[in-house]
Amino acid sequence: MTSADQVARLLALVPYLQQHPDADLDQTAAVFGIAPAQLIADLNVLWFCGLPGGTMGDLIEVDMDAVENEGRIRLSNADFLSRPLRFTMDEAMSLVVALRALAELADSGLRPAVRSALAKIEAVVGATPRVGVLLAAGEASVRDAIAAAIDSRVAVELEYHGPSRGVATTPLVDPVRVSVRDGYSYLDAWSYERDAWRSYRLDRIVAVRSTDRAVADHGEPPVFTAGWLDHRPDAVEVTLDLGPDGRWITEYYPMRSVTPLRGGGVRVTLLVADPVWLRRLLLRLGRAVRRVQPPEAAESAVAAATDALSRYGA
Amino acid sequence: MSARKSERIMNLAICLLMARRFLPREQIRAAIEGYHGLSDGAFERTFERDKEELRALGVPVETGSNSPLFPDDIGYRISRDDFELPPIEFDAAETAALGLASTVWDSARLADDTVRAMSKLRAAGVQPDSDRVAGLAPRMGAHEPAFDALWQATLTRTRVRFTYRALDRTVEPWLLAYRRGAWYLLAFDTTRGEERLFKVSRVTGEPRLVGQARAYDVPEGDLEARLANLEPVPGGKEARVAIADGAAPDLRRRARPDATPAPFPGYSCYRLDYADVASLTGDLAAYGPQVIALAPAALRRSVIAQLKAVAGWGAA
Repeated sequence: MTSADQVARLLALVPYLQQHPDADLDQTAAVFGIAPAQLIADLNVLWFCGLPGGTMGDLIEVDMDAVENEGRIRLSNADFLSRPLRFTMDEAMSLVVALRALAELADSGLRPAVRSALAKIEAVVGATPRVGVLLAAGEASVRDAIAAAIDSRVAVELEYHGPSRGVATTPLVDPVRVSVRDGYSYLDAWSYERDAWRSYRLDRIVAVRSTDRAVADHGEPPVFTAGWLDHRPDAVEVTLDLGPDGRWITEYYPMRSVTPLRGGGVRVTLLVADPVWLRRLLLRLGRAVRRVQPPEAAESAVAAATDALSRYGA
Repeated sequence: MSARKSERIMNLAICLLMARRFLPREQIRAAIEGYHGLSDGAFERTFERDKEELRALGVPVETGSNSPLFPDDIGYRISRDDFELPPIEFDAAETAALGLASTVWDSARLADDTVRAMSKLRAAGVQPDSDRVAGLAPRMGAHEPAFDALWQATLTRTRVRFTYRALDRTVEPWLLAYRRGAWYLLAFDTTRGEERLFKVSRVTGEPRLVGQARAYDVPEGDLEARLANLEPVPGGKEARVAIADGAAPDLRRRARPDATPAPFPGYSCYRLDYADVASLTGDLAAYGPQVIALAPAALRRSVIAQLKAVAGWGAA
């Protein structure tokens, strides 16, 4: 941590502690994203700051006994620093772009508040540079129906056009939250068919039918990250050697490892939870695939290709 | 980190903020204890550095003279109006939205910026609250190695130089945009003299900012529409395919039903717009026997070749 970070924090800490008299030490540390020990170090610096002249009555006062014995912060004699510093462009834009992302995702109940908060931040910053966000968040009617179901805690039946199996399904699920990963929005829900947590891409949900069945308690849903397949017990590791024309998959799917091969190709290792997904990937890659390890992983794709060729009379 | 240095810079900020007039250096030197005991040279260097550090944090340290008769009598001050966050208030629903927005970034640097922005809002008396909106967990990444430099360049309107498709280019960033999980930069490529779209993940080498901030103007108007124009779009050509009933719903959604009877029972015909044979080949082959390419002949040949390659793995 640099001195600049500390000064930036102190300039916000002084007005914060005047807005929150008798603040809790741990809570305040959490607000500023630092350890309590760092916060105590910050307070010890403030102790020597104040109006020019530096005599006793001119300095900021902090009751260090209360900090150390009770974990409470009482700061006074700092009227001259009662408002925080303006946003830097980075700070303002990190918030503005996050709010724009949220506006894409929000249902019609939340969206007006997101838009008005955004307008207020933008008004304080002035002209904002151009950063645009477009999330694949599906139809507004789908998001509204899901938000309503999460709110009233009832199960829903989805009409889902999933990509991996190539057929429409109508899973009955208990919806818990809408999340975004890699630019796509998902409904995280408990699937009764699979008896497990599943994610459904919002732009592939065509319709949501509400039921009067109250959601059951399935515990906490897992935190799905980009590499969430890592945590599935039934996933298998598959290694593919790809020519240069197959490299694109490293930008599209979470990879366990990527090693360059001579001639511009790559060797990638990925975790596969759904054999149908792998079959479709291999058929899509076709000639770009040089080798599949273990070889059995390719069997289903070979069978599908042979079957398809019979329809071409080839 | 030095506590003495933080203390000195804080005292300098407070001193300049309280000044009604531009304060000459000697007066600042006398007022702030941290400058006592330094030689003239050491004071000059330390004061210059401190001043720049404050500016880098966004503190508007002004330089000027109190007297039109003696414009060379330079002093320093911080105008309170430029320093302080203007009054800003949010209702309960807006603070819930802010609380949620503060969890969006899945990028350490941008998340830090958001934490700092939120702590300033809290210091201004706002109480963000993310607990109210259960059921929403938006996340947005920015993991492309070139992202930070391009973000800086876009925010400050600074020209930036990088390598893209093996060519060195200097560009003027106009719009940074997040699409389908990836970042794109719409910019004017000064090397080529044309407007271009760059995929940030394909930028190679460390981008370097060139020259001053606010060096060029961004065109007015709908940049998002310009970006959409530069994106590769499907269309141009039309293919005819047979799809097994109930299969490939996502393909059928981008297709139009076709009245021609299908060559196999249990299949229906559709028409599809596409841009190039190679990418549609992959899309169709992925469905195996459920989707059969009928026309044009070049597409049909390409899909057959693709399927033969995969079927051939079994023979090996």
